[in-house]
Amino acid sequence: MFHFQLIITAIRGLQQNLLRSILATIGVIIGVGAVVSAVSILQGAQRDVLDQFESLGADQLIIVDGKREHGGVTSSVQALVPDDAEKIQQENTELVLRVSPQYQGGGQIKYYQQNVNGFILGVTETYAPMNSYKVDTGRFISREDVRGSTMVTVLGYGVAQDLFGSLPPVGKNVKINGKSFIVIGVMEKKGTLGFLNVDEQAIIPLSTAMARMFGQKYLSMLNVQCTSAAAIPACLEGINQTLRVSHRIRSGTKDDFTIYTQEQMKQRFAQVAKIFGVVLYSIAGISLLVGAIGIMNIMLVSVTERTREIGVRLAVGARRFDILKQFLIEASIISLFGGALGVVAGWAMANFLGEFTQVIKTYTPPIIIVASLIMAIFVGVVSGIYPAIRAARLDPVQALRYE
Amino acid sequence: MIRASQLSKHYHMGESVVRALDCVDLHIPHGQFVSIIGSSGSGKSTMMHIMGCLDRPTSGTVEIHGQTINSMSEKRMALLRNNEIGFVFQTFNLISRTSALDNVLVPLMYTRRSFSSKPAIEALDRVGLSKRAKHKPSEMSGGECQRVAIARAIVNKPKLLLADEPTGNLDTHTGTQIMNIVHELHEDGMTVVLVTHEMDIAVQAERMIEMKDGKIVADTAVDAARRAEILKLNQDAHQSLFRKKSLHPPSSKPLPPQMEAR
Ligand SMILES: Nc1ncnc2c1ncn2[C@@H]1O[C@H](COP(=O)(O)OP(=O)(O)OP(=O)(O)O)[C@@H](O)[C@H]1O
Ligand SMILES: [Mg+2]
Repeated sequence: MFHFQLIITAIRGLQQNLLRSILATIGVIIGVGAVVSAVSILQGAQRDVLDQFESLGADQLIIVDGKREHGGVTSSVQALVPDDAEKIQQENTELVLRVSPQYQGGGQIKYYQQNVNGFILGVTETYAPMNSYKVDTGRFISREDVRGSTMVTVLGYGVAQDLFGSLPPVGKNVKINGKSFIVIGVMEKKGTLGFLNVDEQAIIPLSTAMARMFGQKYLSMLNVQCTSAAAIPACLEGINQTLRVSHRIRSGTKDDFTIYTQEQMKQRFAQVAKIFGVVLYSIAGISLLVGAIGIMNIMLVSVTERTREIGVRLAVGARRFDILKQFLIEASIISLFGGALGVVAGWAMANFLGEFTQVIKTYTPPIIIVASLIMAIFVGVVSGIYPAIRAARLDPVQALRYE
Repeated sequence: MIRASQLSKHYHMGESVVRALDCVDLHIPHGQFVSIIGSSGSGKSTMMHIMGCLDRPTSGTVEIHGQTINSMSEKRMALLRNNEIGFVFQTFNLISRTSALDNVLVPLMYTRRSFSSKPAIEALDRVGLSKRAKHKPSEMSGGECQRVAIARAIVNKPKLLLADEPTGNLDTHTGTQIMNIVHELHEDGMTVVLVTHEMDIAVQAERMIEMKDGKIVADTAVDAARRAEILKLNQDAHQSLFRKKSLHPPSSKPLPPQMEAR
C-alpha cells in the first residue's frame, strides 16, 4: 500500500518541527552541492586542458630540458641548443616533417605612448605552419630573418590591436624591451595555443631573441612534427639517438632532455587531475556524510518524540513495515528535496566561481544531476534506516505507555 | 466473542515475578457489554492489551472472533487490530499535529481497501463532531478529543470496542456524554469491554467483572431493570444540562441500593 496519504503523513511529520527539518535539509544541500560543484570544476578543468592537448596535434612531440635527481631534489638540466633542431631535421628526414625550436621570454612592447606587457617568442619559419597559425596581414618570419638575426617582429592579434588600434601596423617601428623592431606582419586571431594566449605575444626571429635580446644559449623547448601519428615511436627513437650523439651522452648515462608525446602529456595531466580529484571528492564526500548524519540525528529525535504516536498507529492496525516505511519516506523526502536544491546550489556555486575567477572553467555533466539525486535518496535511505528500524521495533504497549 | 483460558502474563523484574494476569478464564459472548473494575495494578490494562492483540500472553490461550491469537503472526494481529478491534484510551492518544479528521483517517491508511475519507467523515458524524473535522486536538475540549478517539476506533466498523478508562480524564458530565455514545454503539451490536474506576459507570454495563492481583474475583450480571433506570437517569441528566443549562450531575442522584452495598 503506497498511496498519496503516506507522503502527506510524512510531510506533516516533518512540518511538526519545521526548523529541525530545514536544518537537516540544509545539511544535505551543502553535501550534494559540494559534490556537484567539485565535479563541475574538475570536469571543466579536464575538458579545458584536454582541448589544449588536442590543439597540439597527435603527430607532435615536445622536447624540453632533462631532469636530474640529486639527493632527492629534482632539477632540470639545460642542454637544448638551436643546432639540435637542424640535426634532428637532417638526420631523420623520413620521419620528421618540421622542427620548431623556441625561446620564450617576457617583455614590454611599445609604440609611442602605447605599451603592452606580453610574451616575446623567438622562433624560426617553421612555427607558423606547424601550428596552422597564419598571418592576418604582412608576412611571417623567414629563414633569412633567422639567419641574419634581423630586428623584425610579427605581432599577435591582441598586441597589434592594443598598440595600433585601427592603424595599419606593418612597416611601423616598435620598441621591444627598449630595442627597435620593424613590424613585418600581424598574426590572425587565435586565442590559446599550447596553454598560451598567443594573441598577446610578439614573435621575433629565434637568433635575435637568443643572442641580441635575452643573451641565452639554451632553448626553452623544441617542437617536432612527425610525418604522421603512426611514425611517433620511430620518431622518438630517432630523435633520442640524434640528441644523445650530439650531446655526447655516454651509454648507460641518463638523457639530458625529455621528450613528451601528446599521449604522455595527457597521462601526466591525468595524474595531476587524479590527485586534485581525490582531495576535492574527499571534501565533498565528507560534506555528504555530515548531511547524512544530520538526517539520522533528526530522525532519531523524531522517533523518540513520537513514540506514543507510533504506539497509536500500531494499535489501530499499522504493521511494523508501515511504521518503517513512514520514517523512511520522511528521511527520503528530506534527502531528495535537499538533493534537488543541492544540485542547483552546486551548479550555481561552480558557475559563480567560474565567472568570478575567470580562470576556472566549469562543466556540469547531465549524468551528475541524475547521479546526485540517486545518491541523495541513497543517503536518505541509509541514514533513515536505523531510526526507522528503531521505530518499527517498538513494543506497542510500551510505546503507548511512553511519557 | 472472546474466550480466554488459563491466561497468564508475567513480568520478570529482576528476581521477582509480577503476575499481571494469573490463570484467567473468561468468556465474553458476542454483543455483550462488560465492565472491568479493580484497584490499580490489578491487571485490567494488561487484560485489555491482550484482548486487543497488542500484547501476547505468557501462557494460556485467547480466542477472538474464533481466531486464536497465540499462534498468530504479527501481520495478522495488525490486521485484526485494524479491522475487528477498536481501542479507546484514557489519555485519548490523538496525534496532536493533525486535525480531527486526519486522526480518524489513520486506521484507514492501514486497511487493505482502497483509501477513501468517507468512513472517517461518517464516524465523526456519528460522535456528533462533523463540525470539528478541521480542528486540531489542542483546539478541542477533552470530551471532544475523546469523541474523536471513539470515531477513530469505530471508523473500520469493528465488532469489538475496548475502552480503557475512557472517562478517567473527564468530568462527570462529559463522561456521561461519552458513555451515551458507548451505549449507542453497544445497541448497534458491538461487543464492548470497558475498564473503569467509577462504580456508577461500571454498573451501566450488562456484566461487571472485578479483578484483583491478576485474577477475576467477581463476575456479576447487572440487573436489567436497574440498568434501565440508570440509563434513563443518565439521559435525563444529559438533557437537563443541555436544555436548562443548570448543573445537575447524575452522580448527585441517589445511587441504586446495589451499588451502595459495595
Ligand atoms: N512492562 C511491564 N514490566 C513490569 N511490570 C509491568 C509491566 N506492565 C505492567 N506491569 C505490572 O503489571 C501489573 C498490572 O498492570 P496493569 O497496567 O494491567 O494494571 P491496571 O489494572 O491497568 O492498573 P491501573 O488501574 O493503574 O491502570 C502492575 O503491577 C504493573 O506494575
Ligand atoms: Mg490501566
